[in-house]
Amino acid sequence: MSEHSPDPSTQRLHLIFDRGAENASQAFSRWLGHNVSLQIGEVDRVGLAEAVDAMGPGETLVAACAMEVFGPLDGQLLLIFEDQAGLSLVDLLMRMPLGTSRSWGELEQSAARETANIVGCAYLNALAHHLPGAVGSLVPGPPLFRHEFVGSLLEFALQDQAVNSDELLLIRTRFRATSDLLEWSLVFVPSGASVVKLSQILSPRDLG
Amino acid sequence: MNPASQTQPETIVSVPIARWATVAAPSCLRTLLGSCVGVAVYDLTARVGGLAHVLLPDSRGQTDQPGKYADTAILALVAEIEAKLKGKPRSRLVAKIAGGANMFATTSAMSIGEQNVLATESILSRMDIKILARHTGGETGRRMTLDPKTGVVEIRIPGGGDVTL
Repeated sequence: MSEHSPDPSTQRLHLIFDRGAENASQAFSRWLGHNVSLQIGEVDRVGLAEAVDAMGPGETLVAACAMEVFGPLDGQLLLIFEDQAGLSLVDLLMRMPLGTSRSWGELEQSAARETANIVGCAYLNALAHHLPGAVGSLVPGPPLFRHEFVGSLLEFALQDQAVNSDELLLIRTRFRATSDLLEWSLVFVPSGASVVKLSQILSPRDLG
Repeated sequence: MNPASQTQPETIVSVPIARWATVAAPSCLRTLLGSCVGVAVYDLTARVGGLAHVLLPDSRGQTDQPGKYADTAILALVAEIEAKLKGKPRSRLVAKIAGGANMFATTSAMSIGEQNVLATESILSRMDIKILARHTGGETGRRMTLDPKTGVVEIRIPGGGDVTL
């Protein structure tokens, strides 16, 4: 949860995105063949500098798969792994001992992209199902793999929101499998227009 | 005054997104860029320099976040450097720029990096500040560090080598 006391629409948003995260967690578990647990789900409304540091020090090198989200709510969906955790994910998928994969070759990148596709679809399907008013299908674009500074990734993903607002919305979920070392994060950054739409969808008169 | 400008001697001052900072040698300035543009302006003789982390190309008259936009950020950056120079001529100021990547080419934000670079070049040109070097575009983030003592700008690319401008 955010440090600030969340308003009702943020609480509602939190509940809905938690449903998405639960669905993604189940898809993750089936895909990996290991239990993947949901660790933390956070809905943050923060300033620019704080948003860019939301995943830790900006210079942290991460592997990430980015999917553009299309549909009534658009934006960016990022599956982010710290290097070693990402390579361990590949080892789990390939049924190899942890530590076997040591660099991001084509095979490793392909495994990460496929994981992002499966987890992203499950997440967005659940969101579309649980958002009030039957918003319609949310469709992810093809995942793009990047080995990147985490701060640069978030800066880019947040740019559309930053055009019209200095308070930014990002939704983070952390997953864990097998051990503390195997953690990944899923980050949804709605576009500026989608933030407005979400506030309309979740306005008090629609909360029943 | 921009809060990021408060410095300690012989330190690397981090410049957050949509902010700027100025220092005198031996302090250095550093920022992390994606589609944003880093604008380093310095006076090598005075060993004074500044770095702006520009998020968007045009303020469209907005004044509440000057560091966010190329037009307002560069004006503020140069004004702060000039204040540090205490009357020395602006003609000694030169610039180096970096950033403006298009990290995920399918996004609606695909052209913002390029727009940031173009706006930065245009504003510096109007201010008669020559751009000595640039490292812009591409698909990767950059870590940019300015040393006002030498005018050297170091660029670090994730997973790649360093580039010196």
